[in-house]
Amino acid sequence: MRLNGRANRLTLLIMMLSFCGLLAALALAGILGPVEAVVAAPLNSLSGAFTRLSVSFNQAVDELNNLGQLRERIAELEEQLARGQIELLQLREAASDYNRLVNLLAYTSALENQEFLTADVIGVDQTGIVRNVIINRGTRDGVALGMPVTTDLGLVGRISDVSANASQVQLITDENSAVSSRLQETRAEGSIVGQASGVLRLTFVDLDEEILQGDLVITSGLGGNFPPDIMVGQVTSVRQFEFELFQEAQVRSLIDFQTLELVLVITSFQPIDLSVFDQQEAG
Amino acid sequence: MGPYLSLPVLVLATALSASILPQLVRFGVGLLGNITPVLNNTHGQFSLVMLLVLAWSIRADLASGFVWALVGGVLLDHFSTLPIGASSAALLIIVYAANGAARQLYRMRVLTLLAMTFFATLCFHAYTYCALLLLGLSYDILLAVRLMLIPTLLYNLVGMLPIYALVRLAQRRIRSSTPGAPLERDAEAT
Repeated sequence: MRLNGRANRLTLLIMMLSFCGLLAALALAGILGPVEAVVAAPLNSLSGAFTRLSVSFNQAVDELNNLGQLRERIAELEEQLARGQIELLQLREAASDYNRLVNLLAYTSALENQEFLTADVIGVDQTGIVRNVIINRGTRDGVALGMPVTTDLGLVGRISDVSANASQVQLITDENSAVSSRLQETRAEGSIVGQASGVLRLTFVDLDEEILQGDLVITSGLGGNFPPDIMVGQVTSVRQFEFELFQEAQVRSLIDFQTLELVLVITSFQPIDLSVFDQQEAG
Repeated sequence: MGPYLSLPVLVLATALSASILPQLVRFGVGLLGNITPVLNNTHGQFSLVMLLVLAWSIRADLASGFVWALVGGVLLDHFSTLPIGASSAALLIIVYAANGAARQLYRMRVLTLLAMTFFATLCFHAYTYCALLLLGLSYDILLAVRLMLIPTLLYNLVGMLPIYALVRLAQRRIRSSTPGAPLERDAEAT
C-alpha cells in the first residue's frame, strides 16, 4: 500500500482507530466472544507451555538460592548421622556382649558343680609363633596356673602364666599343647595336640578303634590337667596307616580363636601334679 | 512478508510476556536487588510486544506498522482487562508517531531510539490508565508511577536496543530474500 502525504497517513490512522473502537465496542458487548475463544486456544496452550517452563525455571532458581541453606542442612544431618552411627555401633556392641554373656551363663548353669570366672581377652601373644592369649584376670581374682579355660563352645586352653591381674592362656591350638581326649561315641582315648596351621590333631588313638568323620571329641580327664567331658571339637578327617602304631584324625574346634573376646576360667578345678609320683619312683 | 511475520512473532512474544518474562524480570530484580534496592517489590513489566511493534514500525512502512500494532494490541488484550482493540488503538498511535518521526531522520541514533522508547512507554501506559478509568477501575496514580511505570521504563530502555537490532536484522533478511526490492519505506516514498 502506498501512502502519499500526511493526509493519507492520518486518514489511515483514523480508519484504523475507528476499527479498533468498533472492536472494543463489540468486545464490551460480548459479541466477539466466539472469535476470542478461537484466538485464545493456541495462545493459551502456548502460554501454558511457557508457564510450565517458567515454573521449572523458578524452582531451579529457588533451589539455587537455597543452596547455601541446603549445604548447611546437609552438614547438620551428616553430623547427626555420624552421632547416630556411633550410638548404633555402641548398642550393637552391647547387644553382642549381652548375647555372649547369655550363652556363657547358659553354659555355666548347665555345669552346676563348676565355678567359673569370666574374663576378657585383652591381648594375644606378640611372637606370632606361640598361640597364647592374655586375659584380664590374675591371682587377685583367684586364677591359678594350669586352670582350664573354656567358652560355651568348648575348650580354649589352660592358664600357662599368671600375674596379679592378668594371665596367659595357652590355647589348645598351640603346638606345645596336649589335651587328653576321647571320642564321645566310641570312648576311644587319644591326645589332642595343636599344630602350626591352627588345626587340632587327635593322636595316639589305637588302630583298633574306629574314628568316624563328624565324631565329637571331648576331654577325658586323664592326666588330671583338665576336667572330663568338655567339648574340644569335631573330627573332620581320619588318617590311618597299618605300618603306624596309632591312627590320627584332624579335629576342628567350634571356637574361632582369632576372635576370642570372652572366656571362662574354671576356678573350681585344681590340676593334679603327677610329677610327685615320678619323684617317688625315682627315689 | 512483514505483515505476515507479525502473527507468529507477536503470538510468541505475547505468550512469553504472559509467562516467562515476569519470572525473568523477577529473577533479574532479585540479582540486582542489592545494587538497585529501588527495584525491590516493584511490579514493572518488560513490554516486549510494544517494543517489537515500535522497533518494526521505525523502519517499515506505515501500513505494515499498523498491521503489527493491530495484531499486537489484539493479542495483548487477550491477557488484559481491556477489551479487544483497546491496546491496538494505543499501539496505532505509537506506530504513527514513531514512523512519522523516523521519516524525518536520516539515521537512527541510540539516543533517539531511547527517547522514542521512553515516550512510547509513557504514552502506552497513560493510555492504559485512562482506558481503565473509563472502564470504572481507578488506581492510585502515584503508586502506579512509582511501582509500575518507572521500573517498566527502565526495563524497556534496556531491552529496546537488542530488540531493535534483532528486528533490523530480520527486516534486512526479508529485504535480501526478495532481490531488487527497495526498502518498504522507500517504496512508499516513491
